[in-house]
Amino acid sequence: MESGAGRLVVWRDRCRGCRSCQLACSFRKTGEYNPSGSAIVLERDLATEKTAPMIRALSCDLCGGRPACVEACTYGALTFELLPRIEVRY
Amino acid sequence: MRAGTDKTWFVDLTAGKSWVEESPLDEVAPYLGGSGYGWRLLADRLPARVDPLGPENIVVLNPGVLVGTRTVGASKLTAITKFPTVASADRRFFVGSCTSGGRYFALGLRQAGCDRLVLLGKAPRPVVLAIRDGGVAIEDASHLWGKGIDEVSRHLVKQEGPDAGVLVIGTGGEKLVRNALAIIDRTNSLGRGGLGAVLGSKNVKAIVARGTGGIRVADPARYDALSTELVSRVAAWPRRAHWIKLGLAAGWDTFKHTQNPGMWPKERWDDLYGEAKRMESLRSVIACTSCPLSCRLRWEIPGGQFGGETGLGSPYSKSATSGQLLGIEDDRKMIHLVTQANSLTGIDFYTTTRIIDFLTRMAEEGRIPRRQGDVDLSRGYETVERLFRMTADREGIGDVIADGWYRVEEEFGLDPQDYWYAGVCKGIDFIYDARPSRFHPLMMTFLTRPRPHHGGSHTRTNSRNKTLEEFREQVAHWGLSAETLERIFTAAPYTGKFNVGRYTSHMEDMMQVKNALGICTIYTYQALVFGDDMARLYSAAVGEEVGPGELIRRGERISNVAKVLNVREGFTRLDDRAPDVWFRPMNTPEGTIEMEDYFQTKVLTREDVERMLDDYYDERGWTRELGIPTPEALEGLGLADLIDGSGKTRTETGRQR
Repeated sequence: MESGAGRLVVWRDRCRGCRSCQLACSFRKTGEYNPSGSAIVLERDLATEKTAPMIRALSCDLCGGRPACVEACTYGALTFELLPRIEVRY
Repeated sequence: MRAGTDKTWFVDLTAGKSWVEESPLDEVAPYLGGSGYGWRLLADRLPARVDPLGPENIVVLNPGVLVGTRTVGASKLTAITKFPTVASADRRFFVGSCTSGGRYFALGLRQAGCDRLVLLGKAPRPVVLAIRDGGVAIEDASHLWGKGIDEVSRHLVKQEGPDAGVLVIGTGGEKLVRNALAIIDRTNSLGRGGLGAVLGSKNVKAIVARGTGGIRVADPARYDALSTELVSRVAAWPRRAHWIKLGLAAGWDTFKHTQNPGMWPKERWDDLYGEAKRMESLRSVIACTSCPLSCRLRWEIPGGQFGGETGLGSPYSKSATSGQLLGIEDDRKMIHLVTQANSLTGIDFYTTTRIIDFLTRMAEEGRIPRRQGDVDLSRGYETVERLFRMTADREGIGDVIADGWYRVEEEFGLDPQDYWYAGVCKGIDFIYDARPSRFHPLMMTFLTRPRPHHGGSHTRTNSRNKTLEEFREQVAHWGLSAETLERIFTAAPYTGKFNVGRYTSHMEDMMQVKNALGICTIYTYQALVFGDDMARLYSAAVGEEVGPGELIRRGERISNVAKVLNVREGFTRLDDRAPDVWFRPMNTPEGTIEMEDYFQTKVLTREDVERMLDDYYDERGWTRELGIPTPEALEGLGLADLIDGSGKTRTETGRQR
């Protein structure tokens, strides 16, 4: 059984650097497209031009359970996993 | 385009001053903004017949109107300038546009509030232009002059921060190699034909762009919903998985037929340069801004003389074709030359390798002396590498190569029309040949565009094995009338199944729309984004309801402005001439290839192509005789103020070659 609460999972290796997550995040928050105004920072390794999204935890409210960044990422670099409401452990 | 205005940032490099001019939307909208309005600004400000490498030349850099939004492929920047490629025996130069995607640069310009950057004059010493929120700084670049593209790019990004976009020229641009281009964000090239040399002539080593502003659209909810729909469409594309795995390394199975120079058996080419070979060096695929189909590549040369060397861009197609032409079997050596071009010198790989191929073969056949100064023109990699370097440095015979095909003609008495692969038009060699490729519309646009390169004009017709119905459907999405469709898709004895001449005029107008909006051409190439999609996006972005028919009409207006600028420079139909080599059979180990139409219904003659050119000009309402806009055509597009200029030039250029 799921609670509606969940966690944002960052798959660093899958990122291609398209910045759609930043644009979608800022649009959801402000109605403008603005990477600088998003809760996501894009790390950039100049040796390889590999990028990876980094979430600024204090700025991110998970969009109330439907994160815009997850919907925008077509590379699967950001996913949202619902957390179970009841978990049985042994 | 924000809040109904369009801001052009001007930099007077001579005076060291900059200022911003705001244009109201009703002045900009007829040209769509972006590069469309950039063309108009240039038409109003660039004097005719200036030296492209002199301070009077102007560079206009235009991020697309939709750049910085979440629309698929909205990453593109278009540069417009007078190019320094010598385009005719009497030394005329075309005013052309070139486009490139990117990851940070175009977005950085827009975030800083710069919808367009215009460079005037010449800086007294090497400079970097730093575009930041609200202003431009002209900073000394003496310490960067003489350094390679990648070194300077990394230096500037480290200095400005990871979000900084960079446009950098190489050592070839500094030395005014006429084909030199610029590299954006390390991964994307911009401006074969000499944008890099123009920037070099202005002492502009680099431009760095970074801002923190947001991109607003007029109707956010509608716009974002449209963007979401397009993302879903692209995500569901059946070929996407293959595409994102290989990027521009994909497509060998078609490429080996369409871009085959015909020197080697195809099996041998497969072994030496095919997909398996590509996979040995491909390391990662990188996306431009807002692109769910990534295509930029990072490679690492596996072993050999250049083992461990890494590079960014797109090395495979160009190295495969030039490798075969030059008879170089080790793909790693050719990839090394691409790396040198992209990360150090910025010289154009195609033109430089083609001229080297021409000269070394002519030396082999005894048409020119094998000994040139202290260089032995014997065929082989060592000669190619040496000439490649000498071209970038303008050293010895490299100075001739650096000046292009007409200088080769002057120095050696060799006719560029004798070059055997793809051919030369307006001083530029074509990246591929109309015989193995067949005469599809892109080949025609190589003739009719001011700058003979595709410039982002791909449509469905660039893929093989498509149907006429697919072509018709794609064009129908642009809101063209039933009569227009009838003209395009009615076969004549000289056309094959559809009229490439008439089609091409509209394809070029679509290109102007894509370039102005900043949508990557891959999305029309693969039939994923259509004209009516762009009309909806544009309407929601700027707040003016525009249908696809009106959108392409504005594209036509831009095409006409571009043409008028080139009529002023003395270009006419005589320059839109198909290379001689297209009409000679290409002998390959698998047999002879002649230039056929797309559907292979007939072998095309020069007369056939000339008749399709007739139709191209007729479709545009231009004169068939000279291929230039009539006063009526310009008046109909609201360009009456350009008539005087074109009328005058028309009489000046009524000469025969």
